[in-house]
Amino acid sequence: MTGAELVIQLLAQHGVHSVFGYPGGAIMPIYDALYQSPVKHYLCRHEQGAGFAAIGYARASGNTGVCFATSGPGATNLVTALADALLDSVPVVAITGQVSQAVAGTDAFQEVDVLGMSLTVTKHSFYVRRVEDLAATLHEAFLLAQSGRPGPVLVDIPKDVQLAQVSAHLPQLAEVATPAGAAAFPAELAEAVALLQQSKKPLAYIGGGAHMAGALPELNQFLRATGMPSVTTLKAMGSVDKYNPLYLGMLGMHGTQAANLAVQQCDLLVCLGARFDDRVTGHLARFAPHAKVIHLDIDPAEINKLRAATVAMCGDLKQLLPAMTVQLDNPAWRNECAELKHQFGWRYDHPGDRIYAPAFLRQVSDALPANTIVSCDVGQHQMWVAQHMQFGSPRNHLSSGGLGTMGFGLPAAIGAKVSRPDDMSVLVTGDGSFMMNVQELATIKRFRLPVKIIVLDNQRLGMVKQWQQLFFSGRYSETNLEDNPDFVSLAAAFAIPGHSISRKDEMADAIESMLNWPGPYLLHVRINELDNVWPLVPPGAANQEMLMETAP
Amino acid sequence: MMTPHTLTIRTRNDAVAVERLLQVTRYRGFQLVGMQLHGQADQQGMVIELQVQSERPLSLLTGQLAKLYDVLQLDVHEVQAQLRA
Repeated sequence: MTGAELVIQLLAQHGVHSVFGYPGGAIMPIYDALYQSPVKHYLCRHEQGAGFAAIGYARASGNTGVCFATSGPGATNLVTALADALLDSVPVVAITGQVSQAVAGTDAFQEVDVLGMSLTVTKHSFYVRRVEDLAATLHEAFLLAQSGRPGPVLVDIPKDVQLAQVSAHLPQLAEVATPAGAAAFPAELAEAVALLQQSKKPLAYIGGGAHMAGALPELNQFLRATGMPSVTTLKAMGSVDKYNPLYLGMLGMHGTQAANLAVQQCDLLVCLGARFDDRVTGHLARFAPHAKVIHLDIDPAEINKLRAATVAMCGDLKQLLPAMTVQLDNPAWRNECAELKHQFGWRYDHPGDRIYAPAFLRQVSDALPANTIVSCDVGQHQMWVAQHMQFGSPRNHLSSGGLGTMGFGLPAAIGAKVSRPDDMSVLVTGDGSFMMNVQELATIKRFRLPVKIIVLDNQRLGMVKQWQQLFFSGRYSETNLEDNPDFVSLAAAFAIPGHSISRKDEMADAIESMLNWPGPYLLHVRINELDNVWPLVPPGAANQEMLMETAP
Repeated sequence: MMTPHTLTIRTRNDAVAVERLLQVTRYRGFQLVGMQLHGQADQQGMVIELQVQSERPLSLLTGQLAKLYDVLQLDVHEVQAQLRA
């Protein structure tokens, strides 16, 4: 067989049934091998769309997402998606065609040094020089993408390697290495338990690492048994049982007041698979100023990177959490947190007829079937989704956290639908973000994917506009999008029906129509450009210094 | 005053490993003040000595270097201590 045929066989061996990509000259042998193969290829309309679809597939399912691109511009178009996967620790394998080695390094047509370019946006990248190394390299790529802290791995394959003959022998698949268990940390566990027992105000700060470790049952048991209040990062939303009375919501720049105030008051922060990101901490030196820190993470490089840990363990959360589970007795602190949650609960009693996005999204959330996957883009709508929609699992909330990539949502929703065809896939996007990968409507049309699209349209780049209003003296530089297209007509051009609403009394019927429509659907929701996201921790401030909405 | 450090790093035998070490060193805020590279006789890898300095704690660099796929072993020496030895 050829190297290209081996690639497709190896994908099948790794259980890859769906890939996302876009063909081109240097990857034509692989596309030829794909022809009539059991691996289903989803043609996206831009390589960036293919990369984000692979991310959506991976995040919604837990499996590795795979994308293809050709050399040169095909590969450069993947870069943003790879960076997104790196910052959000998403297992993706990107396979790129490369010019033949005979012309490599000669500035050949569509030649870019993809290996060099990818160094900063991948967990690792390979350039395959010999067809004899191809199987082992691809196998290593899949192992690397899933092992330890997951991430994107790129395999660049020159055309001559794709065309070369190779034996059909497939390598034995090795297991992903098992992280260290509780037995590796006797002293640290004893110290952690002592800190928990001494603490008067313990708080769990939960990041995306908890669910990626498959440790949500252990996490929720830990929270129930200790009675410890908890907060989550954007990526960890859906990790904590939504009926847990001491779950205080998301912390950070647009976190809940209860979450941020509790973090600032706690005396012990139990950080589980999180990394003290600047959008979480605000002013780092003033973050959780009274707290000692127990830090559990799979990545040793995160320990002491931004906040010194009193006790740290780099191991398997599924084992470490049960080993730290002790009964705690701090009723005053639990009551204080419950009171914060009650005092600062969301309010949806917005005056007037215009649609108020937080209330609309809450209504959508309440109407969604169980296990619906909600993807979103980046900006104000993203924060409203995080604040006002509820999720039963982090796999049901796909949001570009670390990189904050506009254009993420539509292809991610496509990848999510491919990975979980029996669950509903809903995109909540903004008018700015939607236009960044709008070409993927053609992918929805081509594959008849029943993705539901909600466009919250304030005719602005809303989050930038909000910052211009608050911190740049109302100088609205290049954030006015009043020349947006007619989004319902745009969807219709891709055979996607839609409807536009602007008043509260239209919301219920519109949501019901969208959810009951058997195929893809676009709901265009006009909102007021003056509406902003609150609370907001201003840049350089501590998290208790939240700005709140003031009367106009 | 910034303290110089020497890192002795054994890597896989792949030129791109050197690019990765230098990229991570720069990106994580460390200044490169010296470098030596030695191929191993068995062709199984390379030994690279990096002299670096920064106002940031060295652990911020070594933690990132140690997790690179290409890095097989990483040892740290204080330059002054090494000179005395």
